[in-house]
Amino acid sequence: MKKITELTLKYHKAVLIITLLLTALAVGVLVKKVYIETDLDEYMPREHPAFVYSDMAEEKFDIRDAIVIALENKQGIYNPQTLQKVKDLTKALGKMPEVDKADVTSLYTADNIIGSEEGLEVNPFYKRVPNTPEKLSALRQAVTTNEMVYGRLVAHDATATLIIAKIDDDVFTEAFYHEILNLSESFNGDGDNVYVAGQPIIEGTMGIIMPQDMKTMMPVVMLLIVLVLMIVLRSLKATIITLFLVLVSAIWSFAIMAALGIPIYAPTTLIPILLIAIGVADGIHMFSHLQLYRQQNTGKSKEHIITNMVTEMWKPVVMTSVTTAVGFLTLITSDVYPIKYFAVFSALGVLFAMALSLIFIPAGIQAAGLPRARLQPKEGSFFNRGAALYGRLMVRYRKIFSVWTVIFVAFFGYGMTKVWINSSFLERFPKSHQIVQTDAFVNEHFMGTTNINVILEAKEADAFKNPQVLKMAEKMTRETEARFPEIGGALSINDFIRRMNKVLNEDREEFNTIPDDQDLIAQYILLYEMSGDPDNLWEVVDTDFQSGNYSLQVKTDNSKTLNAIIDYLRTYEGAFAQIGIKMNFAGSGYTSLVFNDLILIGQIKSLAYSLVIVLALLSFMFRSIKVGIIGTVPIVITTIISFGVLGWLNIPLETTTALISSIAVGIGIDYAVHFIDRYKINALLTGDKEVTVRKTMAHSGRALLFNAVVVIAGFLVLLLSEFVPNQALGAIVSLNMFTSFVGTITIMFIILYMSDIYFKKKK
Amino acid sequence: MKTIALKPGLAIILMMATFLPRAIMAQNATEIAWKVYNRATPKDGESDMTMTLINAKGKERVRYLHQYFKDYGEVEKKIMFFKAPADVKNTSFLNYSYDDDRDDDQWLYLPALKKVKRISGGNKEDYFMGSDFTYEDLEKRSPNKDEHTLLKTETLNGELCYVIASVPVEEGQYSKRVAWIIKDKWIPLKIEFYDEDEELLKTLSITDYQKLQGYWTIVIQEMKNVQKDHKTVITLSNIRIEVGLGDEKFTQRAMTKGL
Repeated sequence: MKKITELTLKYHKAVLIITLLLTALAVGVLVKKVYIETDLDEYMPREHPAFVYSDMAEEKFDIRDAIVIALENKQGIYNPQTLQKVKDLTKALGKMPEVDKADVTSLYTADNIIGSEEGLEVNPFYKRVPNTPEKLSALRQAVTTNEMVYGRLVAHDATATLIIAKIDDDVFTEAFYHEILNLSESFNGDGDNVYVAGQPIIEGTMGIIMPQDMKTMMPVVMLLIVLVLMIVLRSLKATIITLFLVLVSAIWSFAIMAALGIPIYAPTTLIPILLIAIGVADGIHMFSHLQLYRQQNTGKSKEHIITNMVTEMWKPVVMTSVTTAVGFLTLITSDVYPIKYFAVFSALGVLFAMALSLIFIPAGIQAAGLPRARLQPKEGSFFNRGAALYGRLMVRYRKIFSVWTVIFVAFFGYGMTKVWINSSFLERFPKSHQIVQTDAFVNEHFMGTTNINVILEAKEADAFKNPQVLKMAEKMTRETEARFPEIGGALSINDFIRRMNKVLNEDREEFNTIPDDQDLIAQYILLYEMSGDPDNLWEVVDTDFQSGNYSLQVKTDNSKTLNAIIDYLRTYEGAFAQIGIKMNFAGSGYTSLVFNDLILIGQIKSLAYSLVIVLALLSFMFRSIKVGIIGTVPIVITTIISFGVLGWLNIPLETTTALISSIAVGIGIDYAVHFIDRYKINALLTGDKEVTVRKTMAHSGRALLFNAVVVIAGFLVLLLSEFVPNQALGAIVSLNMFTSFVGTITIMFIILYMSDIYFKKKK
Repeated sequence: MKTIALKPGLAIILMMATFLPRAIMAQNATEIAWKVYNRATPKDGESDMTMTLINAKGKERVRYLHQYFKDYGEVEKKIMFFKAPADVKNTSFLNYSYDDDRDDDQWLYLPALKKVKRISGGNKEDYFMGSDFTYEDLEKRSPNKDEHTLLKTETLNGELCYVIASVPVEEGQYSKRVAWIIKDKWIPLKIEFYDEDEELLKTLSITDYQKLQGYWTIVIQEMKNVQKDHKTVITLSNIRIEVGLGDEKFTQRAMTKGL
């Protein structure tokens, strides 16, 4: 390390220039290649069997995400103006290059199949816009009596109607998003309100908010860090050098990500803020030491002071950086790619910050001159007396404190069992956000914006003309609908068959059932194919009638609800198996649940790994398993409290908050490292327990407090985010830092004290 | 810069040179359309019919039917019986197609329901049996309903064809049709159908045609919907024409009897 520092000092200009050049290059790469991924499908691991199956089913039944435009007229939609708008908007959407004409569904395009005395009529609801009261009320009558449209395309209270445009996964761009919004906006007014909803719109909104979010938070984080650094270091030079190196480390890791063609995902947007909050710690420790050393050794040369700083500090800097990086890296075990990327590039950034601290800080000081010396509080100052008093109190009341810690941990340990995962994308937005309100509007008036697709598969063709199979599926659908008020509606081949049965039996409601005769069902289907748009059929059944798509529309994408529905549907699996039918699930509502499980499994895995690795690292660093275990205590407690708080406060885990445990372990361990390191030095130096406690508390306790304040302040900035999970993450990581800090100077200290470690040999 | 003053006489000649060939071509195009319309067709006949529906993924569904038809002049009557798939066997379909603008009359017999049902609203623009053909596509269309333009003549599949664009006088399901009409046979070899936004919607290809008892008869035709990427192939076999079918063949009673 000494060699490196010598070289650094000798060629400090080269170091600065190379750093600047690399940074300029990195900025160039970023500008050119970086992009934000908002297609949430890209978050899913595609090779996972559940996703492979879902993809297959989505392809087979043409299950795609759709843009949903709602036209609302409080006086009712049955007026020439609103109906004209439905027609015009339908046509305008169909003309967009991103949308296939055939994929737009509205009252204007829907088929009206109705029964009459003598037979069957298939008509559009309207072609020319009805303009007389008689025609309008006839249209209303037609809609109201057609349950395949009523409630699905037109609200029951007739104040709103939907225009649905299915789009392919790959056509959605920001420009298209704005086009859709502008187009919809142009139909707003004269009593008609236009709402735009649907998964692509939610994703698009996220894609626009994400960079905005970073833009709002970054300056605040920087300002805050500058402020804290100025207070702690009392030197503008030191502040600028420290801030610069963390920014550079963030830019480098993002540039490498961009160069590898990896887009920015929601979790990775957090990296710059994380790195700024964490990376400055190295600078703080280096500069603090430098200032302290300089004060105590006046008249030493600049080179000597810098070399001393590096030789004395490189160990704790490397140790804490490695543990932090390892904490992040354990997230690589996650199956969720954005989390993997988060793991790699945040760890990389931490290591960059470490390397820059060890090389760039010396070079920077060499070039810019030594920062102003800080006034070191004298022995017996207020702070030192406080620390000494605190140490004595801790020792005296250690038993009571230990008992309380156990009670505390037990309380939050129980809270952990209440933790649940939410993959709802909508609940990431604040409730007041326009997109949430639009979705709420559509869910209130129509059947629901989230789909669960139950895919039933038989071994042989024509099973979905078999009354036994159809009736079983009917039972499942009906009972599930009855059980969950969140289910707004269902659509399957059964609806088509029931409708045909009713229509061909003079529209009598008692024939709204599945008939017992398989040939009759086959003939109904043939008739439907001959009279309606057969493409509608192939969205609910395959052309061999071997598998059926039973879709349920749910009015929420909350994971608790979706899970409960899926669990309930699975209770029919056995009954279906008896008649040779396999049950599977598909669609975005389901895949997001699988995604949940992956997050949870990844969470547990990475947490276990990080605890084990940190334990091993600590044991190795301090050459003692006992010390390793003692050092791990605060972060174990922190983890329990952190999940306990999530559980008790009913805050769900999702992709962003799932990062918490590893962040907590990685950063929280730093406090223990510093504290034990100092405790060990003092113990070996003095051999006196009381003096060691006092000195360690005064020295390390103070540095840790500053460190904790910086990191907590940095994470609290996340409260400014527009994303609810980012806010939760900020609050909880701040809390974790606080508990890690407190845990270190309380219970860990007590255990360390009681263990008599570092004193045994002397006695 | 030189200016050329046009003499009135020259101007008229120039104008005539511009417009005259157009007028002649329109004349020719309309004549061709009438020749197609007035082509001699058999009074009656029967055949097996295979209808193959092919979706975007290449998945095929085949229906086997037997059909009878009889031309009464102002009305053409047609009855079809399903032979396969088995679960729809003997489902039958009766269609009266009128020469004037009246909608078709249609009836359907579902053997499992044992009832003849009238299917009203049988719009000529509806798809025939869920295929890519609309009823109108399968019928003759009066040349009076369109304005015709001869675009060019070209050789397609070894046949000399007139290429004629027909734009409906009144708004219809298509904004334009472009047909390749075989010279002297007066049957189309290919027709392109353009939707209301003037985008290509479907292409009809006649892949087999034969002269039977003096009548040019389309044996295999394929309709491809390019927007939905579907295809329907209709193949006729065991064709018999001029067989003298009785009127009782084309009644609701006949529908219930099966083949």
